[in-house]
Amino acid sequence: MSTATDTPVKAPAAAAEPEVSNLWRDAYRRFRKNKLAVGAFIVLVFLILVAIFADVISPARYDYSNLIDANQFPNSQHWLGTDNVGRDFLSRIIYGARISLVVGFSVQIIALLIGVPLGIAAGMFGGWVDYIIMRGVEVLTAIPIWLFALFIITVWQSGETNQSNGLLNVILAIGLVGWVDICRLTRAQILTLREKEYVLAANAIGAKPIHIAIHHLLPNALAPLIVAVTLGIPSAIFTEAGLSFLGFGINDPLPSWGKMVADSSSYIRVYWHLGLFPTICIAITMLTFSFVGDGLRDALDPNLKT
Amino acid sequence: MSQDSKKGLSRRKFVVLTGGALVASGILAACGDATPTTAPATTAASSATTAAATTAAASATTAAASATTAAATTAAAGATTAAASATTAAAGAAGVLPADAAPADQQVYVNHFDSTADATCLDFYESVYKRGGFADMQSDSLVRLDKNFKTQPGAALKWAVDSSGLVWTFNLDPNLMWSDDTPVTADDYVATFQYGADPKHAWDFTWYFGGVIKNWNEAVAGKVPLDQLGVKAVDAHTLQFTTESPAPYLPPMLLYSTPLQKKALTATGSGLYNADPKTTVSSGPFILKEWTKGNRIVLEANPKYKGTNKPLFQKLVAIAAAPSSDFASYQANEIDFVGGAVLSPADNALIAQDPTLKNQVHPQPGDFRTDYLFFDTKKPPFDNLKVRQAFSHVVDRDAIIKSIITPSQGIPAYSFLMPGFPASNSKALAPIQNYDVAAAKSLLSEAGYPDGKGFPKLTLWLRNEAPVRVALAQAIAASIKQNLGIDVDVSNKESKTFTDAMNAKPTQIQFGMVNYGMDFLDPYNMLSVWLSGGRHNWNNTTYDDAVKKAASFTGDPAQRVQMFQDAEKILVSDVGGIFIYHRYVSDLYKPYMKGSELEPDQNGVAALHWPGYAGFSQSVSSVYMSKDASSAGRKLPK
Amino acid sequence: MVRYLLGRIIGLIIVLFIVSVLAFLLMHSIPGGPFDETKNPLPPAAKANILKKYGLDKPIYEQYINYMGNALHGDFGISFQSPTETVIDLIARTWPVSIQLGLLAIIVAFTTGLAAGIIAAIKQNTWIDYIVTFISTLGITVPNFVIALWLLLIFSIQLGWVPTGGWPTEGGEWTSAILPVITLALGPSALVARYTRSSMVEVIRSEYIRTARAKGLSARVVILRHTLKNALIPMITILAPQIPNLITGTIFVEVIYRIPGLGKFFVSSIYLRDYPMIMATMLLVAALWSITYLLSDILYTVVDPRVRLS
Repeated sequence: MSTATDTPVKAPAAAAEPEVSNLWRDAYRRFRKNKLAVGAFIVLVFLILVAIFADVISPARYDYSNLIDANQFPNSQHWLGTDNVGRDFLSRIIYGARISLVVGFSVQIIALLIGVPLGIAAGMFGGWVDYIIMRGVEVLTAIPIWLFALFIITVWQSGETNQSNGLLNVILAIGLVGWVDICRLTRAQILTLREKEYVLAANAIGAKPIHIAIHHLLPNALAPLIVAVTLGIPSAIFTEAGLSFLGFGINDPLPSWGKMVADSSSYIRVYWHLGLFPTICIAITMLTFSFVGDGLRDALDPNLKT
Repeated sequence: MSQDSKKGLSRRKFVVLTGGALVASGILAACGDATPTTAPATTAASSATTAAATTAAASATTAAASATTAAATTAAAGATTAAASATTAAAGAAGVLPADAAPADQQVYVNHFDSTADATCLDFYESVYKRGGFADMQSDSLVRLDKNFKTQPGAALKWAVDSSGLVWTFNLDPNLMWSDDTPVTADDYVATFQYGADPKHAWDFTWYFGGVIKNWNEAVAGKVPLDQLGVKAVDAHTLQFTTESPAPYLPPMLLYSTPLQKKALTATGSGLYNADPKTTVSSGPFILKEWTKGNRIVLEANPKYKGTNKPLFQKLVAIAAAPSSDFASYQANEIDFVGGAVLSPADNALIAQDPTLKNQVHPQPGDFRTDYLFFDTKKPPFDNLKVRQAFSHVVDRDAIIKSIITPSQGIPAYSFLMPGFPASNSKALAPIQNYDVAAAKSLLSEAGYPDGKGFPKLTLWLRNEAPVRVALAQAIAASIKQNLGIDVDVSNKESKTFTDAMNAKPTQIQFGMVNYGMDFLDPYNMLSVWLSGGRHNWNNTTYDDAVKKAASFTGDPAQRVQMFQDAEKILVSDVGGIFIYHRYVSDLYKPYMKGSELEPDQNGVAALHWPGYAGFSQSVSSVYMSKDASSAGRKLPK
Repeated sequence: MVRYLLGRIIGLIIVLFIVSVLAFLLMHSIPGGPFDETKNPLPPAAKANILKKYGLDKPIYEQYINYMGNALHGDFGISFQSPTETVIDLIARTWPVSIQLGLLAIIVAFTTGLAAGIIAAIKQNTWIDYIVTFISTLGITVPNFVIALWLLLIFSIQLGWVPTGGWPTEGGEWTSAILPVITLALGPSALVARYTRSSMVEVIRSEYIRTARAKGLSARVVILRHTLKNALIPMITILAPQIPNLITGTIFVEVIYRIPGLGKFFVSSIYLRDYPMIMATMLLVAALWSITYLLSDILYTVVDPRVRLS
């Protein structure tokens, strides 16, 4: 620790300010050099394109069922086999990308939009602000999500048969309680970083707290946030699957990867493909995200600017 | 679930996810309600509720009557005794181990019981849905069922009905003693029935005797005192029932009549004394020795038992477990039995491929459960008969059974009463709701929705169903979409949410799928669920009249069956529901389990029939472990 | 410090109060009640009686006041799903088992995760690093019902080495603890590895470590003294919650391995509308979480003295 305090730390962000464009250009240059990150980014773009153009590329409709073909293992006609209702599994995986990516991304975006500002506020201002935000976090942590979810259904549906497929409800329910970890993480990072020299220096020259937070603290808090978001994506995908079982999630026959994995639990001892392929998809999504995330962090990391 | 153990949030995510997985494995199915299905997981007895008999059922109830045609006086008298002498064949050899039996210390039957919700009692009259392990073994019910579903004497050696058809007299076995050395008397039964009707108790099976036993509903409502109930002790060993209207089905209905001890009940105020080895009092074949909450229940043969159902097993061990883990424990030789209802599609596929396991499968009709679609027929579009008919013609039952349910677990249903159940008329009714896409299409356009144009999007509600039935619902939804052009979402609801919406008046479920299994072997039991004002928003006064009239009909049993069949035809033709499949239960038990009750019945079914290994059944005095058990690698619990 | 602690304890009480109100409102607003039988509803008179017996016929605010009044005297009521015991008895019976399982899993998860994370960070971008990343990705993305199922198939059914279920202190074999602990530890272990690696890489690259190296300190000393210490902050934030998470029981692992713990009650009490248990479990979780957060905030100051509590 003493080493840390003894070492003069540059205030790179502050120094770079007059030439912001350079920072981004440098970041882009560094990112491009990282082969793993670029590769992962390409896969990610591919996944997103698959999700967007699911209708065009999938060999069949996700809900087209032919019972005679049920429970087929992968073969030349059905590359990933068929499911228990005789639907082409590849088509369901392709359409499943749509729901799963939308849920995974938007939940994390909501979590970031709520969690990061509140975390910064709690960490920067301390005192009452911190106290209230953190007590709120504790309250939210204690309430089981499906009690919350059941409550939302009742309010939402109010006795009417719900004609929507429930996607928005799911995203809201998960996102609105999902920000607490991001918030705590941001706060914890801010708490350590705000004592660092360059922050103290910025403070001394009279920079506004918001300015300090955005230009100095946030970039440095990025690494753990990226990991949290990466891990949050499969987590959200699986939570969506759990909610489906309450009749609160996305209705069948619309597929999502998480639901496909959960549904497979009573089939996988024989029909291994039903569990394996969606799990691989979730793993790939998460891996590409972590590699892209790592690459982004490295590219943006002011400490690496040499 | 590792993926969500992630952050602070994880607790909740965890719960949700695992909850999902659980439902997936059918565990939570038992949690809310669908308990009947999980019955076989434990002993059939601990099953939630339900059923009684079957095939021969036709005989048991009604046919009991025909046996005594001698009573040519009034037809009603026909329903009398019959059984009395017929039985006790099994009881003759009771308690003596056959020559090929394993030694007494291996006469231990180990089984799982559903741990999804904590069990709290062992007695039907305490709580039907909260019984654990081997329940209803600590006293004898008035009647028992044999493997042919014939009603046989239990604690009652014989019974008779008077000429009015309203007053039934049961003569109790005077030998029966409680383990505290006091005799079992009619007062014990009276106290037990009064406990069941006591509004303070709020018994979860109160509806069962409503409208049957005189003043039952009034007593439950607190309008008349309990001593006005139609259950009286004439003397120490004579019990008298008075019914509201003639109820020829009363004896089979009294399968559920295992008494609590009046003394203990009065002293403690509830039947829970029987759930604690320290305070339990048994007059039945077994007595409670250990109950480790959330873990296991152990019963041992009651050395003081004086009845006719003396067991061959010396010890029963029931281990609390989630139904989804039953098959694994069975394969690991930790338990002797696994109920067909808990087997997953993968399990069934594995069993079908494995010659050894295949030989351990024993299919049987279970509690004659039928899965069906229902509607809110009071509102468009389902107020239109043609729409309901169109829907009924696009359900491809044969394909569903073959591809989703697997033939060992069910047969196609085109009507409500399963083949083998009294008054079942499946062959004659089959053409009414048959699979006929062309007819469906033209009916739908006649109804004003050619190719589904203008038809609202539907959501099919399910009640916390196991994955296999979620698949089934999706297959039906796909068929409706592909053949009729109507979009159907499938939503598997949490059980209480579903029930609340279904029971709401008016119902909040426009289109749903649910199932029903019998409680006792009379068509009235099954058909009454469709009466107006009942479970579903389908009303048909002709049907109501027909069912009610048939129920209390005491004339020629064949005519009574005909009356029920006419009623069921109305139900099927007016499409009150669309019937999808009748569940078969393909249980597995180890080949070393032997006993006359496991031999083929008159229909050739060789299985541990409903009500399984329970005090309601004669299997108790018949089933034992043969010598093969010693070398089968069993892992007997300590 | 004393003032800070006092403030946090008051905060804990406020949190518990808010949670109790929210829980009460939520659970009473969702459809269905504890005594709605599914096969056939209770007759109205019987239902009215049983509602009266449990005080559920009164207005919500009155029920709440009664509940809190009793709770303050240590009476949390009787569980509807297990009416033979009080909520306190039920928790006292089941929670210790979950705590044992959770603690074992925590020990396994943290030791294996830390080791894997450190190795991956030191050997950054080598095959060792990729293997750790791969395995931890699996640990996070493969649901543990799948893991539990396969472990059970291989080690109980095929090999017969361990029983399919049970728990050592509840009459089971000691070997019955092995599979559930592994299943439960895998996810958190993967998390620990991911965060350890990420933070370590960050710190290893930072200037003070380079300086330290430049000063001639050996790599091992640098890593142990400085790196790990600095990587601890995000780890505490993320991993501390794993502790209450693991020791309050984990329904799936407990259910599949037949462990009579508290885990399943978090689900079953909501499914069965077991109001007293819903309240008790939520308050328990709230209290545990608040305490964990407090401890991790204090830990920050221990790990990094520059962080001050305020």
